[in-house]
Amino acid sequence: MSATWRTLVPTLIVSITALLVLAPFFINIPALNSVQSILNSWTVIISAVTGCALGLVYMTHAIYASYQRNKDMEQLVMGVTTYVFIALHLGLALTQSGGVNSPAYQWWYTVVYQNVGATVYAFMFFTLASSAYRTMILNSVEATSLAVGGLIYTLRQIPLFQTWFPWMVPLGEWILLVPNVGGSRGAVIAAALAATVYGVRTIWGKEISLREVS
Amino acid sequence: MSSVIVPGTILSALVLLVIAAASYYYFEKLKDPTYQPKLRDIPAITAIKEGVGKSLEENKPVHYQMGASGGQLYSTLVSMTLVALTFLRYISRLCAEMGAKLIVHMPYQAESIPLIEGTTLEGYREAGKPEDFKRENLRYYGRGALTWTQGVTASFAQEGVGLNLAIGIFYSDCPISLEMAKYMNGLNVGGTGRWIMVYAFAMMCDYVFLGEEIYAAAAVVSQDRMMLVGMLIEEVGKFFVFLLLGLGLLLSLVGMDVVALFNM
Repeated sequence: MSATWRTLVPTLIVSITALLVLAPFFINIPALNSVQSILNSWTVIISAVTGCALGLVYMTHAIYASYQRNKDMEQLVMGVTTYVFIALHLGLALTQSGGVNSPAYQWWYTVVYQNVGATVYAFMFFTLASSAYRTMILNSVEATSLAVGGLIYTLRQIPLFQTWFPWMVPLGEWILLVPNVGGSRGAVIAAALAATVYGVRTIWGKEISLREVS
Repeated sequence: MSSVIVPGTILSALVLLVIAAASYYYFEKLKDPTYQPKLRDIPAITAIKEGVGKSLEENKPVHYQMGASGGQLYSTLVSMTLVALTFLRYISRLCAEMGAKLIVHMPYQAESIPLIEGTTLEGYREAGKPEDFKRENLRYYGRGALTWTQGVTASFAQEGVGLNLAIGIFYSDCPISLEMAKYMNGLNVGGTGRWIMVYAFAMMCDYVFLGEEIYAAAAVVSQDRMMLVGMLIEEVGKFFVFLLLGLGLLLSLVGMDVVALFNM
């Protein structure tokens, strides 16, 4: 396949699909809404199938590479556990009568899977909450103003500070409603415009971020 | 007429039309080979080069991450995925040219992996060193931010960090990896277009791209005229928004219902 066809065909597919998906936002024609709905469904289907297939392939590759880098028992147990987890997921859902609603699957899901997930999630968020304090760098005007604004806004929610420093409450509200809203609206508008430019360029067939060298 | 056009979308269509018209103008202008659009320097871009140099001096790898969910291909954030890929190509080329080891921490959306792999390889090809591209340095950690943060931080701890370049779609996954990179004496350079997480980058990075700066920086590092005029097109959009703001202010001062007017 020539380079022109390799570029032209996907560009045409993307441009036509994008126009068909975009049009119903502005034009109220039932046929266009149906086309948009079908295209959206296919996007999800293609993405989910490729995602699952590639995910499994890359996960296997990653586990193997990880074991090659560090050949110890922990790595081996980690790799095996991953597949045991997948086997339990699929095995119980497919073999038990009632599928995912079967008592065996529900027990495994609520007693084992959810608890492990919740524990790791809690661990991650405890680390996250404290990491900001450990890593904060006041090396710019932006960082300092964000830190000061955030501090006042946080302190004004603590009852002790509300009693000792009552002026903090209106100041915190003002920071939240005036500079915060003004700044964030401006930033969001600018980022949205930049994203729109990417979209227009893609529809136009001029997006070159992913062009090939050879 | 009112039944064909969806109510409340006229202003959005107008913004889109202005951007399309500006795009047409600048795309035509690009036909002149002497036309070279210019953007201001962004300090964080220079810092990337310094970071690669630092990694070489310390014999540590350069890490690149586009967020645990940075591979979104069919969401409203897809433009940030494209920006992240532009930076990936740049850092791959830079690492190949300077001889630094690059580790790419891939997002959990597996459907974007071929793009990431291809873009990294393209970077090495641009530098004329495709043989230096190593697939095992593209790391995938399965689905979810939980496994991603653990995988990235484990890699930082085991292999060290010279430069940690973090650009893309970030949620609450970024503080943990930024902290670990700092803990391992790495240089943190990063940014996101998601305003809600810009605070984390502003406070935790040595050099930051604030919000839309990632789009401008992507254009600068690509050094492509098409990408550079993209920022000029965005400027036209910004001036149009300023115009609307001024118009809205004036009309509301004379007592008109601006909200209803702009919601046509």
